[in-house]
Amino acid sequence: MANILILFRKELRSFFLSPFGWVVLALVSAMQGWSMSTAMKQLQDEASALSLVYRVFHAPPFWFYFLAIFPLITMRLFAEEERAGTLETLLTAPVKTRQLVLGKYLATFCFYIILWIPAYIQFQLFSILTDLPPPFSTGALLGAFLLVALMGAFFIAVGSLASALTSSQIIAGVLTVGILFIHHFLGYITEIYGDRFRAAPLFHYLSSKEHLSYFSQGLIDSRAIVYYLSAAAFCLFLTGHIINHRRWRN
Amino acid sequence: MIKVDNLTKRFGRHLAVAGADFEVERGEVVGFLGPNGAGKTTTIRMLTGFLPPTSGLARIDGLDVTLQSVEARRRIGYLPESVPLYPDMRVREYLRFRGQLKGLTGDALRQRMDEVVERCGLHEVRRKIIKTLSKGYRQRVGLADALIHAPPLLILDEPTNGLDPNQIRSIRNLIKQLGEAHTILLSTHILSEVEMICDKIVIIDGGKILASDTPANLVSTMRAAGRITVEVRADPAEAANRIAALDQVKKVTHERSRDGWEEFAVLVESGTDGRERLAALSQEEDWPLRTLHRHDATLEDVFVELTRKD
Repeated sequence: MANILILFRKELRSFFLSPFGWVVLALVSAMQGWSMSTAMKQLQDEASALSLVYRVFHAPPFWFYFLAIFPLITMRLFAEEERAGTLETLLTAPVKTRQLVLGKYLATFCFYIILWIPAYIQFQLFSILTDLPPPFSTGALLGAFLLVALMGAFFIAVGSLASALTSSQIIAGVLTVGILFIHHFLGYITEIYGDRFRAAPLFHYLSSKEHLSYFSQGLIDSRAIVYYLSAAAFCLFLTGHIINHRRWRN
Repeated sequence: MIKVDNLTKRFGRHLAVAGADFEVERGEVVGFLGPNGAGKTTTIRMLTGFLPPTSGLARIDGLDVTLQSVEARRRIGYLPESVPLYPDMRVREYLRFRGQLKGLTGDALRQRMDEVVERCGLHEVRRKIIKTLSKGYRQRVGLADALIHAPPLLILDEPTNGLDPNQIRSIRNLIKQLGEAHTILLSTHILSEVEMICDKIVIIDGGKILASDTPANLVSTMRAAGRITVEVRADPAEAANRIAALDQVKKVTHERSRDGWEEFAVLVESGTDGRERLAALSQEEDWPLRTLHRHDATLEDVFVELTRKD
């Protein structure tokens, strides 16, 4: 437990010790602002039954930048330790592989949550600046942020796995983007082919796009929570085993 | 302190370490010698728990390095060959991180940090960012990391690699001091280093342990390599034949003639000294004798004899 905390602190600090973390933070908050203003523009143009939260998370830029966050924040995790040889100093200290994986994962997740603070502030700013009642319910806001956290939990685990597979950050990043794109487009299968085949419920279940549309209306679905958390746990389990396996085989 | 029993590591078809056996007693400073690619680093990585052995057993202080890995690792201070560090961290910050990982907290941690900073001569650079440090200082930071939890055993993989002569001297002196309180396994291919620092030598090549003894014993068992130089005034062909006919002489070569003196290199069997008999021979034959010198074998002779490929 103590080891996880030590590794967590070190990893979280390392996001802020180099310009890299700040660049990501700036980039993501700019994109969040863009999503926000696109959504506000849409509401201005036409009346809509859907809230501002729903609009923001369904604005055209959303998936575009959202999926790009994960390779950026995860590709370094294990690939860089492997390349620089620091994996050797870490794993010859009295540290277990799973502590290393958890410490790094939790730190990245924490940084990811920090990335969403600007978006939260933007939503709060809306009513402060316009002096209008917020055009969304608290439930919708919390639901959307909950799903963002859940998707983050899963996608960061995917990124960790990719990073553990290689000692090249580039390959890790490309692999993460690839997996996340495939995952994202699996969500469109039922839109393309309709619901009239037997595996359709599976694709509904896998679709992050659908989950997001429910959650951002304030509908919290426990199946989605189980889905993201169990998928994240599975990816982390694989990550630990791959790090060990790479040493065993070498 | 270290007990290695039939340790083997295979990378696919390549046999990197083939049934290594050796022991290191508590308090010894042991030189781990071998040419590049001999299997030194692989053996060390197995000892430190980074690579699991394909078969065989290694114990650190009685603890199995694969089954009781974490406990065994607590007893080791390890400096890997490439000295991996985090370039963006400051020296003290790095040492604090490493100390914490190795289970130090609070006052004990602070005290140990001050001690290793002092000991490794890092006082002036303790606030600097690691990537701005020279190679020599990085090596010291790595060493400070290895020492931070006051481990009974230090494993140093080529600690003077790539340093300039002054830096080599200072690291070497540091290791010598550390040898008073720690058991040290020092991997290197620099023989003078071993002669200066180590109580015992383990020589490895092609994944096999070829010798494991004190430097003095190694040199004395390698007497075969100790040549005798003789210079007499005699007919070279006849003298060579007469000397070769002596007992325990393996080989005689005529080195050169210099103003009527003939110089021979005489190779005698291990553990014997032919000087007395050579002197007697020259007296008997009435050859004037000018030189009779026995060359002591050096560690270099031992190393070359054991590891050369031809």
